[in-house]
Amino acid sequence: MQELIRPRRRLDTPPVLAVDNLSVQLQTRQGTARVVEGVSLEVWPGEIVGVIGESGSGKTMTALSILRLMPHVARIVGGDIRLSGTSLPSLSDAQMRKLRGNRMALIPQDPLSALNPVQPIGRQVGEPFVLHRRSRWQTAWEQAVRLLGAVHLPLPETRAAEYPHQFSGGMRQRAMTAMALALEPDLLIADEPTTALDVTIQAQVLRLLGEIRDEHETAILLITHDLGVVAESCDWVYVMYAGRIVEEGPVGRLFAHPSHPYTQALLNATPSIELAQAELAAIPGRIPSPYEIGPGCRFADRCAQRLARCAQEPPLLPVAAEHLARCWLLEEVRA
Amino acid sequence: MSGQSAVRPPLGWRRYRLLWIGGVLVALVCLAALFAPWVTPYSPYDLDVTDMLQAPSATHWLGTDEIGRDVLSRTVFAARISLQVGLVAVAVGLFGGLLIGVVAGYWGGILDLALMRAMELLFSFPAILLAIVLMAVLGTSILNAMVAIGIIFIPGFARLARVSTQKVLRQSYIDAARTIGMADARILQREILPNVMTPLLVEAMTAFAYAVILESSLSFLGLGAQPPEPSWGNMLSTGRGFMAQAPWLAIVPGAALFVGVLGFNLLGDGLRDFFDPRMKD
Repeated sequence: MQELIRPRRRLDTPPVLAVDNLSVQLQTRQGTARVVEGVSLEVWPGEIVGVIGESGSGKTMTALSILRLMPHVARIVGGDIRLSGTSLPSLSDAQMRKLRGNRMALIPQDPLSALNPVQPIGRQVGEPFVLHRRSRWQTAWEQAVRLLGAVHLPLPETRAAEYPHQFSGGMRQRAMTAMALALEPDLLIADEPTTALDVTIQAQVLRLLGEIRDEHETAILLITHDLGVVAESCDWVYVMYAGRIVEEGPVGRLFAHPSHPYTQALLNATPSIELAQAELAAIPGRIPSPYEIGPGCRFADRCAQRLARCAQEPPLLPVAAEHLARCWLLEEVRA
Repeated sequence: MSGQSAVRPPLGWRRYRLLWIGGVLVALVCLAALFAPWVTPYSPYDLDVTDMLQAPSATHWLGTDEIGRDVLSRTVFAARISLQVGLVAVAVGLFGGLLIGVVAGYWGGILDLALMRAMELLFSFPAILLAIVLMAVLGTSILNAMVAIGIIFIPGFARLARVSTQKVLRQSYIDAARTIGMADARILQREILPNVMTPLLVEAMTAFAYAVILESSLSFLGLGAQPPEPSWGNMLSTGRGFMAQAPWLAIVPGAALFVGVLGFNLLGDGLRDFFDPRMKD
């Protein structure tokens, strides 16, 4: 089982990103929504870590909390976020601004509208240099052209002078990636970077993320709802459900031995070509509302293997070395 | 803006008829104002009592007024006042409205509430009444008329700027700007302002036309341009008294006013179609 130990974990330095027992709540007129609860995750240099879950599982809120860009109704109510050992929640807003785009960057969910329509691409991609390094516009422009070339945009000199509406979806995604990479951040958060793109472009973007990781030892946190994306590109995966991490482990191991009923259902719900299914398998029921979360297992209502103990929420229990799942079944098997 | 198409069609006559007609009329008025001393046969101030209330003739193409001044010359020179008032008033309204609207739209909350209620208060007065009140406070002069008309425009521009700002704020390039660490001031300057300017510029054209009308109204009432300074408004006002003997005294400045206002309105509509082809019915 030795080969399962996270290969890029090092004992001499802290992880690039360590989220420790993070809880985020939304205060709205409907009450308090517990959107993220007790989430802990780590990303090490040169690692692509996937966070997977359906809409409403809290994965995007986790990412936005790391950057402190959550909507203003959201509040971090507990836990810590450390970037290379520095605790982020204690920093001022101005200090956070200095980190964003500089030491950590986000590739946004919808790259198609994430570019300013009235500014040429090159100016926008070069902006971080002016913002954080006080470069002159000319230097920033040269850097932008270099970056656009680095993300395999053809004719970067000509393209830099064009406007977003002259770019296709895949090209805009690359421009956004170039902008995020500009200052070679230690941590890159990609929030559903492929959702708005068609499949061939998706593959290119994922390959690009792999290249970035290999060239700069960048730590990448990849947020997605697409199991295929995780299987293709990640080293490590966290499965989120209703604000909780329900399973974590190395990608190969987790896909071979899914141990939480939710992960199993998720894998079953993925259509495959080999088994030409007559009907798509769906998970019955719905994700519980974050306003009405009881003390029990959050998946219990939809779970086929539900036990009496599920009225109480299980902790993350070991399945194998470095593979954890939040399910009582693991103790039942052992007993 | 959302209305930007990938490739803009060329400025064809069939598609942009309004833009062309408006552009030509506005150009005509602007050229007349700019070159007034060179295109007019007489000075607008020279009076000739032996020649008063002359009907249009070869010497005075559009006749003379009650103290023998050339009506053509006065009408052309009056375009200067109208354009000056339009420029200054629209500048005051655009700048003031932009500032208030963007601040209210960007920061929202109690600030938004306070600023917008104040704007609605201004809006609730009829424009000409508000102008008269402002003139009474500021004193009667053409400069004060410009400022008063500008103040009338502030609420309209402010509302438009606020709505556009809120629309831009929902776009994800604003989030992207925060993602790379931009502060509020920089986001306003580089992301918001360039994207709210288009609708405001279209509105500015319409406001310009309205400013010309308001200036004429104020001058008609004796609150704008002061005699002997020619203005379409005060020419109409005096011409009104001679409708029976010398109808050209009122008809000529009236027609000039009509052409100027029509031009700016058509140009405004044409620009709107140009910037947002979907708005065209």
